[in-house]
Amino acid sequence: MSRLLHRPGSVDEALALLAERPEARLLAGGATLVAMRNAGLVDASAYVALDGIAELRGIEQLPDGGLRIGAMTRHRETATCGLLRDSLEVVRRAASMIANPVVRNMGTMGGSVANADPGADYPAALVCVDVELELAGTEGRRRVPAAAFVQDWYETALEPGEILTAIFLPPPRTGRSTYRKLARVSGDYAIASCAMALTGGQGDEEIAVAIGGCGPGPLRDVGAEAALRGRLDDPGALAALGEALVALADPIDDVRASADYRLRVIPRLVRATLDDLRSERRAA
Amino acid sequence: MSDHVETFEIAVNGQRRRAAVEADATLLTWLRDGLQATGTKRGCNQGVCGSCTVMIDGWPQRACLSLAAACEGREVRTVEGYGDDAVMRTLQRRFAEGGAVQCGFCTSGMLISARRLLADSPRPDEAEVRAALSGNLCRCTGYKKIVDAVLLAAEELAP
Repeated sequence: MSRLLHRPGSVDEALALLAERPEARLLAGGATLVAMRNAGLVDASAYVALDGIAELRGIEQLPDGGLRIGAMTRHRETATCGLLRDSLEVVRRAASMIANPVVRNMGTMGGSVANADPGADYPAALVCVDVELELAGTEGRRRVPAAAFVQDWYETALEPGEILTAIFLPPPRTGRSTYRKLARVSGDYAIASCAMALTGGQGDEEIAVAIGGCGPGPLRDVGAEAALRGRLDDPGALAALGEALVALADPIDDVRASADYRLRVIPRLVRATLDDLRSERRAA
Repeated sequence: MSDHVETFEIAVNGQRRRAAVEADATLLTWLRDGLQATGTKRGCNQGVCGSCTVMIDGWPQRACLSLAAACEGREVRTVEGYGDDAVMRTLQRRFAEGGAVQCGFCTSGMLISARRLLADSPRPDEAEVRAALSGNLCRCTGYKKIVDAVLLAAEELAP
């Protein structure tokens, strides 16, 4: 056993290590943390690797029909999971668009979510389907709605010493959902992205929409979604939802696009994603 | 960077190997600078280019994004470890014959990704090959000859 790297076999052991060495970095798949280490942005004196903890692995269906995704579940497994269907399909599709197959063999949902990169793919998908994130600390476990997890740029609800252990999804609802990513090349972080689910009967459809890449965390306006119920084919009503999301946005200029471009693209992205779902339904 | 040197024992190509590197070294550094196993290339060292792709527990992964300390207990297979693998030898021959190797820097990573593809999908179509190799950058070939080499190897192996 290396003195630098600890590989605990349980969450409790990992929490005890973190309590003992608050400066230690949690190592999930390594896809971001080790890249930062190589770039000289992280100089950790200790790592706590989470790959040896069985309860953090895999996707299971719960008695109520909801799903539990262990925080160390690799993107590859999520991207191919048949349980992620109907209203939850958006999560599977977001996973399948992360980076490339080799990185999807390494990266984990917990690592990606905890890192809270605004351009990452899971945050919008998870907010769209109303997941809860389970955070474990030495005092016990608590659950935080995905929409309340990101609090500022790269700042999350995780307290020092806590570990993101699982993602709890509600039971899938009959309907369709998808993830559309606007990126310079496939596999890049998003300039902006749109996670969307359509549920309910025709003529009385409910929509859920979350926008990624246009602020510290995903944008969602539940009130504007409710106002659109049963009126999805009204272009004016759809545009109002787009504008409501623009009003929540707080984008930045970066190497991928300007803030102004992101503001302009949000309503178009919403419309294009709805068109994707409509044409999928026609083709089905 | 850690000044502290540590010895790691990792299973590489079916043999347990030991090498000493700095305590927070990556698997890539352990392979290249510790073992002098230089078939695995260091390109971007950021997980982007794919030239360091190796098989870890049967899945293509980035050696530059894996800490050596976290690889103890895992099975690593590098491009040097496929001498008796008929599929890999066919891929290598098709790469060589088809001009899929120009400067060669990306080749070992390409081969590892292609090897996993042919295990999962013995007769992939072109789109599958391109998707499987999308994490491996080549700055010489424009990819056409690499994709063709994988398709020809698949055809030869699973006619």
